[in-house]
Order: sequence, then C-alpha cells, then structure tokens
Amino acid sequence: MIKKYFKIAWRNIIRNKGTFSLNIIGLALGVASCIMIMLYVSDELSYDRFNERADQIVRVVFRANVNGEEMKEAVVMAPVAQTLKNDLPEVISATRLANSYNNRLEYNNTYYGQSNLGYVDPNFFDVFTLPIIHGNKNTPLDKPNSAVISESLAEGIFGKTDPVGKTITVTNRTKKLYVTGVMKDIPKNSHFHFDLLVSTLGYPQAKNTSWMESDFFTYLVLKKGSDINEVQAKLPAINKKYMGPQMMDAMGMSYEEFQKENKLGLFLQPLTDIHLYSDFSDSTTLEQGGDIKYVYIFSAVAIFMLVIACINFMNLATASASKRAKEVGIRKVLGSNKKQLINQFLAEAFLSTLLATSLAILLFAFTLPAFNQLAGKEILFSSLLKPLYIFSLLALLLLVTIFAGAYPAFYLSSFNPINALKSKFSGKEKNFGIRGGLVVFQFVISAGLILATLVVKEQMNYIQNKDIGYETDQLLVVRNTYLLGNNEDNLIEDIKNDPRVENVSHSAFVPAGESDNEVGGIFMNGEFQRRMFFYNVDENYIPTLGMELLQGRNFSEEYGAETDKVIINEKAAQILGFGEDPIEKTFERDTHDGLKNMTIIGMVKNFNFKSLHQEVEPLILKKNPYGGIIIRSKTADMSGIIKNLTNKWNNLNPKEALNYSILDDSLNHTYLKERKMAVILTLFAILTIIVACLGLFGLVTFTAEQRFKEIGIRKVLGSSAAQIVALLSKDFIKLVAASFLIAFPLSYYLMNIWLQEFAYRIQIHWWLFLMAAIITLGIAFFTIGIKSFRAASANPIKNLRTE
Amino acid sequence: MLKLNHTYKWVNSGGRRIFLLNDLSVNIEQGEFLSVMGPSGSGKSTLLNVIAMLDDFNEGEYYFENEAIHELKPKKRTAIFNENIGFIFQAYHLLDDLTVYENIETPLLYKKVKSSERKALVADILDRFNIVGKKDLFPHQLSGGQQQLVGIARALIIKPKLILADEPTGNLNSKQSDEIMQLFKELNEEGVTIIQATHSESNAAYGSRIIHLLDGSVKHH
Repeated sequence: MIKKYFKIAWRNIIRNKGTFSLNIIGLALGVASCIMIMLYVSDELSYDRFNERADQIVRVVFRANVNGEEMKEAVVMAPVAQTLKNDLPEVISATRLANSYNNRLEYNNTYYGQSNLGYVDPNFFDVFTLPIIHGNKNTPLDKPNSAVISESLAEGIFGKTDPVGKTITVTNRTKKLYVTGVMKDIPKNSHFHFDLLVSTLGYPQAKNTSWMESDFFTYLVLKKGSDINEVQAKLPAINKKYMGPQMMDAMGMSYEEFQKENKLGLFLQPLTDIHLYSDFSDSTTLEQGGDIKYVYIFSAVAIFMLVIACINFMNLATASASKRAKEVGIRKVLGSNKKQLINQFLAEAFLSTLLATSLAILLFAFTLPAFNQLAGKEILFSSLLKPLYIFSLLALLLLVTIFAGAYPAFYLSSFNPINALKSKFSGKEKNFGIRGGLVVFQFVISAGLILATLVVKEQMNYIQNKDIGYETDQLLVVRNTYLLGNNEDNLIEDIKNDPRVENVSHSAFVPAGESDNEVGGIFMNGEFQRRMFFYNVDENYIPTLGMELLQGRNFSEEYGAETDKVIINEKAAQILGFGEDPIEKTFERDTHDGLKNMTIIGMVKNFNFKSLHQEVEPLILKKNPYGGIIIRSKTADMSGIIKNLTNKWNNLNPKEALNYSILDDSLNHTYLKERKMAVILTLFAILTIIVACLGLFGLVTFTAEQRFKEIGIRKVLGSSAAQIVALLSKDFIKLVAASFLIAFPLSYYLMNIWLQEFAYRIQIHWWLFLMAAIITLGIAFFTIGIKSFRAASANPIKNLRTE
Repeated sequence: MLKLNHTYKWVNSGGRRIFLLNDLSVNIEQGEFLSVMGPSGSGKSTLLNVIAMLDDFNEGEYYFENEAIHELKPKKRTAIFNENIGFIFQAYHLLDDLTVYENIETPLLYKKVKSSERKALVADILDRFNIVGKKDLFPHQLSGGQQQLVGIARALIIKPKLILADEPTGNLNSKQSDEIMQLFKELNEEGVTIIQATHSESNAAYGSRIIHLLDGSVKHH
C-alpha cells in the first residue's frame, strides 16, 4: 500500500510540475538554510567541550565598579588560583594562564616571527585536554623555561627533526626555551590558541603576591556535582580576607569602606560559557569570541525560513483543493477511509520534502565555501555525515513532512464525497481565511527582516560616517618600530622627509585596531579617584591624527621633556571636576616610585579611542614617545609611502618584515561581527522574501485559475486589464499590508535592543519603516502583477469556451 | 433488501424549506432491477445518494437488509456501504492519475485484499469486459463508453450486492448506451440488485420495475 501511495504521489507531482517546483524550491531554500545554520550554531555551541572535564571547569573573573568606572576583566590576581584551591574544598585543582605579547622566535639563526606564546602552570595539561603526542607526556612543564610546542609550529621550525630537547630563543627573554613536548594543535573550537606553552616556574609575575594587579586567566576544576553559585558565594569572604589588608596599604582605605561606594568582586564563569557569554574588556580577552545573541538570531532565522517554506506548501496544497476535491470524492465512494487518504497526502508531502532535502544538500554543498568565508568557520561538508546530523536531518525531514503535510492532509480528506464530486468549491471558501493568516505570517517575517536589515545598514553607515574626533583616513600605522632599536629615530627622520608624508608621530597608541595600552590610578591631594587610560605620545600626535585641541597648548620641543605635563580629554576634565577650564590644574598619578604630580597643559576634544559600542572614556596624553609610528599621508594612495618605508625597513632590520596597517582598515575590522551580521541578515532577508513570494505566486496562480471564468465575463463586459490585475491583487496586497502592523512594531522593539549595544546609535526613523514597506509591497506586487497580468490579458472567449 | 419509510430531506433556502425527498417510501427486493425516472430536480440523485448512505436524510426510516441505517453511526454506515454497494456515475469519475488497471484495483486496495487475490480479481473482470488490452491506458486515452465500462468494472470488483447507477449512460451515445444496459441486464440475471436513475424511457425499460419521482415523492399512476 505504501508503495502505491508513493506511486500516486509521484504521478501527481509530475502532473503539477509548476506548483511542485514552487514548493520544492521554497522548501529546498528553507532546508538548506536550516542545515547551514544548524552546523554553524552547533559549532558555536561546541566551544571548549572537547575538554574531558568541560562541565567541571570554571574561570575566575573580576568585575568591579569603582568611582563610576566599570571594570570587567577575565584576568585575576596571581595568588587567586592557589588561594582558592587551599581555601575551598570544592576546588580539585587550579591552573593559570598568562598571555604574552611580542614574542619573536629564533632557532639556528633563523627568525620565525611572532608566535602565540602563553605562560601556564605545570598542571595546565591536567586541567585541559590537550594531548601531548611526543616527548614528556606527564610532567612537561615542571622545570623553569620548559615549553610545549604545537605540532604545526614544531613542523614549521624543526621540519622532520625531533623538536624535543631543542632550545628556542625568544626575543626580550634572557633565558632560552627548552622544548619538552609536542602537543596536538589546539582545536579550532577552543577559546584560546597557543603555539608555545611555557612553564610559569621561571616567570616572575607568577610569584607576585599582590591582590591589586590582575595578570592571570585562572581556571578551577570543581568537584563533580558542585554548584557554581554555592562556590561563588564563598568568594567575597576570600576577597575580603586577602585583598583587604593590601587595599589598606595601597589606598589608605579599608575594604569595608571601599565597598560602601564601590562594587568589586571575583566571579565564576563556566568554561563552556566563555565563547558565547563573555563581555570582558578587550585588553583582557584572549580571542574575540562569539555572541549568544547571534546564535539566537540565526537560529530564529533558520526556523523562520523553514516555517515560511512549510507555509507555502500548506497554502499551495489547500489552494489546489478544488483540483483534488474530485479525486477525494471518488476515492471515498470507492471505499477509502479518511486515514488512507491522509496517508496518501502525507506520502505526497514526504516525497516533496525528500526531494527538497536532497536539493538542499546539493545547495548546501555548493554554497558552503562562501558561507564559511562569511561566517569565519571551517565547516566541512563531511561533518554532515556524523550520525547526529544524519539523525537530525531525518528528524527535520519528518518534521517538515508533518508540519507542511498534516494540515492539507486533514483538510482535503475531510471533504464530503457528494459535495466534492459536485465541485462545490467557490473562490471564497472559508479556507481563504486560514490561508490569508498564513500569508500574513510569512510577510510578518519578511517585512520584519527587511526592516531589521535596513536598521543594521543604517547603523553601520552611521558608524562609518560619524565624526569620531580625529581624521581616520590616510593614516598608516607601524606598531613595532621599537625593533629597530637605535635606528628607530633615523627611520622617523627619513620618513618625515618623504614628500608624500604630511606628518609623523612617534607612538604605539592607536585609537583603532591593536594598540599599546596603559591604565593608571589617578589621585587628587593623595586621595584615589579612579583609574584612567594613558596614551604615550609625542608633540606630533595631535596634528598627525587631526585631533582638535580645545584649550591650552600641545606638547612642544621648546619646553624640553615635559614629563610632568599632560593633555587630557574633555571627559577626564569633567570627571576630575575641572569642567571647561582644566588648564594649569594638577593631579597625581600612580607610578612605581609613588605618586607623581602632573600639570594639565591642554584639553583635547573627545575622540573615540574605543569602538562606538562604548562611550568615550577619560584619557590622559603624556609625552613619552616610544614603540611605533603613525604616518599621515598627503594622498589617499599610500602605496608609495609603503614602498619607501619597506625599503628603509629592510635596510635597517632584514630579519623581520615590516608590519604595517592602515588605520581605516583596522577601524572597519572593529565592527567585523556587525558587518558579518549585516551581510547574513541581508542574505536571509532576500531569501525569505523570495520564498514568501514563491508562495504568493502560487496562490495568485490558483486564484486566477479559479476565477478565470469570472475574468472572461468581466472582460467581455468591458473591464480593462489593469482593472483585472487590481481585482486579483487587491486581496493579497491587503494581506501584505496587514503584515506590517505586526512586523514593524516587533522589528522596532528587537532592533532597539540590538542598538543598545552601541553607545552611539541611530534613531529608527519613520522613513526606515516607509522604505521597508515600499520594498516589501513592491516585491509582492511585482510577483502578483506578473501572474495576474497574464491572466488579465488572455483572450476572454477562450476562458468562456471551456465551459 | 432495502426499505425507505416516509423519508424527508430538505434544505433551507431563504427561510423556506425546499424538500428534496418528501414523504418518500420505497421497498426494493433482492434481485430487482429498478429504474427511477423523473424530471431534473425530482430527487433521483438524492434518492440514490441516500440509499448509498453518502447523504443524510432529515426524517424517516431506512432499513438495509434489516439493519436500521437511520440509527447507525456514520462510520458503520460507511462500512456497510463499502461492503455491499457499487456506485456508477454519469461522469464516470475515474481517477485521472491511475491506469485502467489501477482504477479497478483501487477499491480492493482499500479493502486490504491480498496482492495475489487482487491480481486474479482484476484480471477476471478485465477479461469479462474485454478491456485487457486497455489495462495500462489512462482514462483520457479512452472513449466515453470505454470509460464507463471501466467505471462499472470498478464498481463490480468488490462483488457488491447492490449497484447504484446515477444516469450511467447520460454522456453516451445510443449504441454505447444499449451495450451498457445489456450488461446491466446480464448482471441482474446473475443476481445483482440494480437501481438506476435515468431520463431515458428506453433505458428504463430494461428494468424489472419503474418508479417515477416528482418533487421528491413517488408518483403513483
């Protein structure tokens, strides 16, 4: 019997190729999107789960609010790990990781450039599942300067020779590293990636006993079954016990007194939450993670796509009811019961879904590379062959069959045979109501997504064009001129003389992209105020970056070193209570040699030195040029300067290549996540409207077929083609317009939540709604128009003759 | 075989009742070949649909082989219909997507008859109706008379006790019509009870009894 169902289903598909193609294409697009997003989401959710004890590992993080400064740091103080292990019975073990920057490797007089180097406690490999495939597998890091190297870096440096026992030189380090083991490359879905893990035993900061400086990512393994919240509840007492006395020394304030007006504490973050739920400041983040919001958004989009395609299926099936009614009638008279008819219609739905799924898999295979590039993933086609995904795909197949097929199956099989045989189905059966509702639902999603896309585009546009307090174009950044040592000044002088160069500043502090970072405590009359950011610059910094000096003067060579002078931004002036007139005011800054008095000589207009997600924070510029250079070009084309710079660089330091960046590019990179989302959102907005319109096209086709006699009569009576088009379109256009009433408020609400992420954001203006409405209506009308115009321009006599 | 006692069926139209069956009583014996005549709208089709249990009636009694149909639930009625009655339509109502063979086989599929038995039964009837050569054709490839032949074969395949034919030759020419009537006569002689609704005096004459309907009641002479 099942075979028969499929045979009949197949013949029916062949006979209704048109409707069927609409169904299949729509469903295939829906299913392909679903597969893609399913893989993307499960990849996002898989982060750090490769660790055998992933569910027991937590990271200790630091959150505080001190004098209005919000601090979110993923690193904590050096003694935290050992202290928590000693004091908390739930902690089985604790391990630390410190990120190390600017490490250049040298082996056999060959340079291997930057490497990702981290210092880890000797027990690191007991906590994280990072298999050592060669060398000392049990205690690789139990001696100072011992290091474990990744498989790929080992191959890069040592080729086929055995790396174990070899020594590597690291610039800026007096001691050489001694390779004790080779580990497998850290899996892609890990929240950190290092090529060299070096023992903390020889690392001075690891022995730091201060509870006032944070340097270490600290991970705890909790006993099985311990409640994170319970453990976390014990942390304030520990903090008070150990930090309290040190706070008294450093700030002259007791812990209790401090906590009265400020908040500060240690918290636990599950390992598996790190990738998707981290909001820590960039300087304490190992790698830019994902965002659970985007996981939700894309999951929702996948479900929407599928639902829209299923609705098409339902609508087209019920709309063609008049065609199928006769068959249902006959079959019932021939002794079929309802169940058998339902089975037959479900078989049809299943067959369609099966074909659509096959097509979707093909579509997926072809678009996967583009998707990977867009999403920054390395999803393989073969990952679809995992049992879990095969099972999910089968489940999806059944789900779609039931979801798309059940309603038409029950509806069609419920016909009274006599009525069905008499074809008592007029154009306006009660089903139009349900179908109308489903069309509205589809366009709620389409129009909602279109509005969302417009909002995202508008916000990105705003970011691009906002005046952020300095001139971002024509700036070239080289952040490692310190490598040149004594030749650094020569290079700067040389490059200043290039006729294409407008100005050069000597600083490694850049307001976009990678930058050096300095934060220091600010005191007034010996009393701690709050921490503020410092920029170490020279007198050319403000003119080179095109910043505006609102008050006072810039640094100048005339005044010598000026190490006790600063220029502050408006925000700092406001926070320090100097308001509009900060010139010649003083404060103290915390240095290694105690508090040092600083005098304000100028105030610079606020500029965004962080992304527009954040408000401008207080900033202090002090004269201390070192590190890198920033070049302002006279023209947009900087290739000449780059060429000149490269030549000069190669003459001075042939060991390492020049590493430069264009500030505008770095700035764009800051919003990579949003840019990707904009692209993906646009893509799916287009796809959903296409699928929704496929359905609309099908429905109009049926309406035109059902009413073709009416159309003929009207034409004979003198109706114009335009009037017929209006007649056929009216009902559908009304539905689309009705969908705006739900789509726009919903989209407005959700997009406002998204916009909250930006400290600087657009208003969702009325004309964005208008644009979304015009686009949606335009596409819908175009779809309906093609079909109804064809129906309207047919010869009326033909319509009537068939009677 | 079946008996209708004072049956009424009406529809409401514009606040008025329009009677489709109006105090109609009829008694049909096993082995009869009854012709139902009457002008359009006199209730012939309604009567056949009611007898076939495809349509309800509002008042009265209906006994089919001593079973009180008016007291039964729809499911049970459908079961009795499927077991005993073959229905033949004026417009043939073959399934367009199925071949001649498959059309005839369909009622057996719904009765869950075994495959081997199905083959034998369909082969027999194809043979008897001389349409073996057409078994793989689709309905639109046949003439009207041939289509109706398939329709009859399909109705007979479940070996019904009663055949209901609603203007079976209405769309056919007189030669085809005579052949179908001859076939009905043979079937009747084999013991099948037949009720046919018809406009045609000559077709009606094949029956062993004729009743005339007018406005939903039997017209007595």
